[in-house]
Amino acid sequence: MAEIVLETKGLTKYYGAGIALDHLDVRIPRGCICGFLGRNGAGKTTAIKLMLGLLEPTAGSAHLLGCDSTALPPAVRQRIGYVTEGHRLFRWMTIARLEKFQQAFFPKQWDGKFFADMIEYFELSKKQKIKHLSNGQRAQVSLALALAPNPELLIMDDPTLGLDAAIRRQFLEGMIELITRQGRTVLFSSHILADVERVADRVVVIDKGVLRADCSLEEFRTSVRKVVLHFDNSVPADVELEGLLHCRRSERQLELTLVGVDDAEVAAWADRAGTERFDFVEMNLEDQFIEFTSPPHRKRLFQWEEARS
Amino acid sequence: MALWMQIISGSETPIYRQLVEQIGGAIAKGELRTGDKLPAVRALAAELVINPNTVARAYTMLEQSGLVTTKTGSGTYVSDPHLRHADAAEINVLAERMDTLITRAVNLGLDRQALTALFEKRLAKFAGRLDKGNAENG
Amino acid sequence: MRFLALLRKELRESLPWLLLAGLLLLAVGIFFLRAHAQVSEADGWQYHRGLSPGQTIDKHRLLQNPNLNLPAIWLAFIAPGLGLVLGVRQFWVPLFTRTWSFLLHRAAARLTILGAKLTATIIAFCISVGLVWTGLYWYACRPDLFPIPEAPQMLVNGWIYIALGLLVYLGTALSALSTARWYTSRIFGLAFAMLVVFVTLAQWRPVSIAALTVLAFVTLLSQTMAVFVRREF
Repeated sequence: MAEIVLETKGLTKYYGAGIALDHLDVRIPRGCICGFLGRNGAGKTTAIKLMLGLLEPTAGSAHLLGCDSTALPPAVRQRIGYVTEGHRLFRWMTIARLEKFQQAFFPKQWDGKFFADMIEYFELSKKQKIKHLSNGQRAQVSLALALAPNPELLIMDDPTLGLDAAIRRQFLEGMIELITRQGRTVLFSSHILADVERVADRVVVIDKGVLRADCSLEEFRTSVRKVVLHFDNSVPADVELEGLLHCRRSERQLELTLVGVDDAEVAAWADRAGTERFDFVEMNLEDQFIEFTSPPHRKRLFQWEEARS
Repeated sequence: MALWMQIISGSETPIYRQLVEQIGGAIAKGELRTGDKLPAVRALAAELVINPNTVARAYTMLEQSGLVTTKTGSGTYVSDPHLRHADAAEINVLAERMDTLITRAVNLGLDRQALTALFEKRLAKFAGRLDKGNAENG
Repeated sequence: MRFLALLRKELRESLPWLLLAGLLLLAVGIFFLRAHAQVSEADGWQYHRGLSPGQTIDKHRLLQNPNLNLPAIWLAFIAPGLGLVLGVRQFWVPLFTRTWSFLLHRAAARLTILGAKLTATIIAFCISVGLVWTGLYWYACRPDLFPIPEAPQMLVNGWIYIALGLLVYLGTALSALSTARWYTSRIFGLAFAMLVVFVTLAQWRPVSIAALTVLAFVTLLSQTMAVFVRREF
């Protein structure tokens, strides 16, 4: 059993009367790249800030590398890299000065050559001031600053928000580079699910402050499925099936989105419903995520009226 | 290195399966020959910008179907054709793929003769590999 | 190592403001002294207008004469002004530029981070207004240049205002860190510091003022520390 580097127990956060996070129980093992997924406002940033001790929990606890998040000693913070969207750095500093500042906190583990290589790769100059850099360039500096201390745990909160595809790819490359080193773990939240699918091997899905999934990416991919059933006569009006997420019907077809339902159960249900013909439809991660986090049995917003044709 | 491998992100096909298909395809077409060394897991992961576990998984699947063998400490190599085998489940998948193919052909209006001719034409590309194939599988 | 890096950063950020305050004080001081030098030259270097030669100088009375005091009153505005600006720069600006989380995640305890800011401010006050004020005093008291008598009390008065400036800094910091709304308890820090300044201006009693300043300093400092350690960013 791999060591757990990040653990939350009943982590809860209230803002006034509103719940931002409701009893989050997550355990992330060492050595994985974990994608933190959720819709806007689901509570991902709140969870991450709680884990890093920037917020205080209303209830429950979070532990990072075995230490309570509300009391992370500097020695433990040294082992954790943190990158947020927006990449707010000190605008008046030059890259060189920022490097010196950062380096002071990681005296023994700073890889100056790696930092210099990255800056060169990004076609930046150490003499440039942060305020003269574009958003993308600031993100690149931020990435270099986070990777150069060779962190054991890298936590990134939507680091590529609003950035172009090339920079997004660079961040992914950085994550892969880190994970190939012994014993490193990466946690990152993102809305670009194609990126998550590329590099993550675990996913955590949070929806309206509640944990919906904490499993390997593989498990998620194979659990959320879509099946289309073909009927000769009329389509059943009521669909009772455990694990049903969504249900759409047309004249002779019934499309069900299911979670955690195996082939045999589908076959059995189809049989009871009166058909033998059904096909599984493959979905990409983005479609699976949308289906998984959309409210159930909701009418599609824009209905194409077939009567028009 | 593995310049011919392409990963399509955001696809319905899981990445490990894309890898399996591409490597398998290359072996079938003779682009990868017996004894050729596949890229190291970490190197391939870094090049394609995917998780090393995904590469490892693909290699494991290829090994399970006998297409490659892993020698500890050395690497993963394309294996001898005689070591390959296909189980019933895999042949079923193959049959389903054929159905997809035939469906498309029927919808395009091809008749049996045209379809067979087309099939033979494409077979020619793999000629070398097929003739040397396992005698055991039917 | 970490503390020094933090200190260096805070000092560098405070630099333009401490230079501005120091230069402002220097300009005002030199302007006053030059004007005063003209007056005293016309008087023929008499210590006090109306004093006949040979009359002894009553230092206490001299100090009542506004023409002969190096007015610490300038510092009543410049020092709190500097304190306000530094408080804003160190505690409000990071809220707007959202750089707090970057700073707080550096591997240093929160009190270390706060300590660096406070130390930087103390150093800033000392080397700008502190140094300039002391220099002006020393220069003004040279008997061959100006008729201003040497009276350490003048020097101390100035330094009391500098301490008040530090108080305003703390008050600003506390207001910035408070998470309440403006019209409620948030204004407490700044209002309290300003109150002490006004009391000082209204009724000048050096000893009680000094005691009040120390008390206020301890109060604001402990409050700021308590709030900072637990604040959410």
